[in-house]
Amino acid sequence: MLEFIKNFFFSYNDIFEVVMMSLMVSLSSTFISAILGLTLGIIVSLNDFKFKKHIMRVANTLMSLPPVLIGLLVYLLLSRKGPLGGFQLLFSPTAMIIAQSFLVFPIIFGLTVSSVAEIATEVEKTCISLGAGKIDTFYTILKECKLQLLSVITAGFGRAISEVGAVMMVGGNIKDQTRVMTTYIALETGKGNFNEAIIIGIILLLISFTVNSVLFKLQGRD
Amino acid sequence: MKLTLENAYKEYNGIRVLDIDKLEFIEGKIYVILGSNGSGKSTLINCISGLDFLSGGSILYNGESINAKIRNDISIMVQKPYLFDTTSLNNIISGLKYRKINQDEISKRLEKYLSYIDINSLKNKKSKWLSGGERAKIALLRTSVLETSLTLLDEPTASMDIESTIKVEKLIKSMSCESRTVIIVTHDVYQAGRIADYVIFMDKGKVIEMGLKDKVLKKPENDLVKQLMNMKI
Repeated sequence: MLEFIKNFFFSYNDIFEVVMMSLMVSLSSTFISAILGLTLGIIVSLNDFKFKKHIMRVANTLMSLPPVLIGLLVYLLLSRKGPLGGFQLLFSPTAMIIAQSFLVFPIIFGLTVSSVAEIATEVEKTCISLGAGKIDTFYTILKECKLQLLSVITAGFGRAISEVGAVMMVGGNIKDQTRVMTTYIALETGKGNFNEAIIIGIILLLISFTVNSVLFKLQGRD
Repeated sequence: MKLTLENAYKEYNGIRVLDIDKLEFIEGKIYVILGSNGSGKSTLINCISGLDFLSGGSILYNGESINAKIRNDISIMVQKPYLFDTTSLNNIISGLKYRKINQDEISKRLEKYLSYIDINSLKNKKSKWLSGGERAKIALLRTSVLETSLTLLDEPTASMDIESTIKVEKLIKSMSCESRTVIIVTHDVYQAGRIADYVIFMDKGKVIEMGLKDKVLKKPENDLVKQLMNMKI
């Protein structure tokens, strides 16, 4: 077994770059989605307006959107004849980040609204009664809902790091350029190299476990 | 400070929960609002504070509608106050920090208000570890230190022991000595007798009796208030 693992890392010496690419794409898309999703989620949870229920229904539907469908949409947007074709982003890490952001945003937005609605309203009222401005109020809500929001971000990152369909379509799984761990596993499985695919899968799980442990630590649950 | 409500009403799903023809509050007095559950007491002070909004009518503060500037001159302790997830002391000074009050002034106010309600053992305790009564004390101090012209308190002593209640009442009286107006919602008629200048009785969203404490508590005109005052004894 040890001999096999040694041979694996010798033959698959690009694994470090693949891991780094996976982390870069998933963390970037989670970061972008978190900025937008948390901000809009808190705003929507604090306000009652006419189309709120409809927005939530759409967000909940998008939470379960098949990644290949997002992959197809982003592919059409970025392909040479598409509206954003001029930027020549298809088959680049940027395209993968865009596709994953589309997947992660509805999760972060939807979960933010459902998890912070009650507490955010309480905090907002308290801040108003104490004379806080809008920025102070927003910052306080983020602080007071830290636990819930970190859980939401964890769920978003989980979706991003485990995703394969969309990044395969818009990234193309190009060696040394757009290959990530999930597409690497798919490739090796297709070639019949099951042992190699399992090892990459274990590495993926370990990385996911480490990132989740850090987020748990930040939540103060440990 | 002069606060006037005229033809003020509030409706939830078509049901009128507050219906005030005219109500006036003047500077430096303590008003105690009494009434049964659901009589509109909390809705009234929430609307005055700007946390809730009227469905119609007006609330004028020195002749002006409640706006952001006026809201800074009003403070409220709600019925179930939310305490931030930090120490008691940080909770007490949070409003002062939001209002950009300097550290010297914060220290002065802390010294002044903590002399009424001693929280030495609670200062560094996180809010999640406080009991109901302790939470109420911190929330009350957080509201009091703001030193606004109008202070609204919704059942401030409901979860406190007698000793703390007496200290809180002393603090409330000291506020009116500084020309601050205090409006308190309570179910405790005896408390009204101890601290009020004026007593307001509410029922089904309406003011059914209002006047000087001695008159309302000893010689009420409204039949329901008469009944309630008899039950008290």
